[in-house]
Amino acid sequence: MVAVRGVSKWFGAHQVLKDVSLDVAAGEVVAVIGPSGSGKTTLLRCVNLLEDFQQGEIRVDGEAVGYAGAGAARRRLPERVIARTRSQVGMVFQSFNLFPHMTVLKNVMVAPVRVKKMPEAEARASAVRLLERVGLADKLDAYPARLSGGQQQRVAIARALAMQPKVILLDEITSALDPELVGEVLAVIRQLARDGMTMMIVTHEMQFAREVAQKVVFMDGGAMIEQGPPRALFADPRTERLQTFLKRFREGYQL
Amino acid sequence: MKLDFNFILRNLPTFLEGAVVTLELSALAILCSLVWGLVVVTARTAPSRALALAATGYIELVRNTPVLVQMLFIYFGSAVLGAPLSGFAAGLLAMTLQNGGYMAEIYRAGIEAVSQRQVEAGMALGMRRHEVMSIVVLPQAIRKVVPPFTNQAIVMIKDTSLVSSISVAEMTFHAKLLTDRTAAAYEVFLTLAALYLAINAIVSAALRLLERRVAIPT
Repeated sequence: MVAVRGVSKWFGAHQVLKDVSLDVAAGEVVAVIGPSGSGKTTLLRCVNLLEDFQQGEIRVDGEAVGYAGAGAARRRLPERVIARTRSQVGMVFQSFNLFPHMTVLKNVMVAPVRVKKMPEAEARASAVRLLERVGLADKLDAYPARLSGGQQQRVAIARALAMQPKVILLDEITSALDPELVGEVLAVIRQLARDGMTMMIVTHEMQFAREVAQKVVFMDGGAMIEQGPPRALFADPRTERLQTFLKRFREGYQL
Repeated sequence: MKLDFNFILRNLPTFLEGAVVTLELSALAILCSLVWGLVVVTARTAPSRALALAATGYIELVRNTPVLVQMLFIYFGSAVLGAPLSGFAAGLLAMTLQNGGYMAEIYRAGIEAVSQRQVEAGMALGMRRHEVMSIVVLPQAIRKVVPPFTNQAIVMIKDTSLVSSISVAEMTFHAKLLTDRTAAAYEVFLTLAALYLAINAIVSAALRLLERRVAIPT
C-alpha cells in the first residue's frame, strides 16, 4: 500500500533522511520507532508530502507521491494532484489540530463535503457513525476547546477516517496527552488495527508498538537501521544502536 | 459665551440630511474596503513573487499618501480624463483604495496569527491551497481581526468628513454651509462633533457585540 524507496531529504546541508526504504502492505500496521531527531516523524510527513524530499520515491497504492520522473527530469507534481493524493492518506497529529471554529461534527464532515463533494446528509451520517465508533456520540455539537485532549485526539482520528483513506499516518498521537488519557486513544487504534486499517505509526509507546504492529522499523540518525516483526526485533536486536535504544527504554519502561 | 440651543434644534433637519449621506458613504466604503482588502491580501500572500511585490507596493503607495489628496486626485483627475466622477463616487473610490490597503494588512496579521498546524491539518485532508484558506484559515483570521477592524471602521466614518471638500453634501459639508450663513461656529461644530461621536459610539458598540457573537467557544 505504501512503498518508500531510497528516500533522502536535506535541510540545507544537513541530511535528515538517508536512503530510507520500507513497505507497508495493505491491512498492515507498521510502527516506526527511534530516538528524537531520528527522522521518523519527517519520514511520516513525507508520505503525504507535508515535507518534500529530494531523492527517491514514495508510492501510495501505486501512485507516486509528490514527484514524477527521476534524476534531472524529476519534477514536483501540480498542487491539484498532490492534494488528491493527500485526500487518500489520513493523518493524525501529535497536537490534534482540530479546527477550533467548527463543532466536533463539522470537523469530521468538512473534508468529505468540501473535498470529496459527498452529499451533506451522507457525510453527516458517516460522521455520526465514526464519532459513535470513537465513543463521542454525545459530543457532536461541542467545540474542540471544550474537550479533553483524549477526546480531541479521538475526534481527529474520526476526521481522518471520514475521508476513507487507504492508509493512516499517526504521528506520536499520544505524546501530548496526560498519561491517564493515553489508554482511550490507543484503544481506538487497536480497534482500527483489528478492522484491518493500514497504518503507519510513529510512537514512543513501545508496548503499544509491540502489541499492534506487524512490523517495527527502527530509525536512527535519519537512516533505517533495522526492521522486522516486533517480537523478534525487541527480543533479539541485531544492531548495537537498537540494543542501546531498547536498553534506555527498558530502564524506564517494562517492555 | 452663550450657546444658542434653539439654533441647533432649528437646523437639526439639515444635519440629519447630511447624516444620511455620511452613513451611506461610510457603509459603502467599509463594505467595499472589506472586499477589496481581501483581494489585496490574496495577492499580498500569493506564492507568485511578482504579485506579492505588486500588492506590497500598492499598500505602501496608498498608506503613505493622504486620503484627501487621493480624493482630490481622483475627483479632478477623472474630470481631466473626460470621465468625471461624482464627488460621492470619487470619495468612495479613494476611501476604498486607501482602506482596502489597511484592511489587507489587518487580514494579513489575522492570517499569520492562525497556526501553521491548522494549515497542515487542512492540507492533510486533501484541501487545495485556496480551500485551506477559505475553510480553515480565513474563518479563524476574521474572528481575530474584529477589534482592529472596529478601529478602522471608526477611522473611516470620521474620514468621510473629507468628502465635504469635493462637494458631497454630507454632515460636515452642511455644517460648513451653516457657519458661512450664520457664523454660529460653536453651535454648529459642537453639534457636528456630537453627531460623529454618537454614530461611532453606536458602531463600536455593535461591533463589540459582533465580536462576542462570533467568538470561538472556549
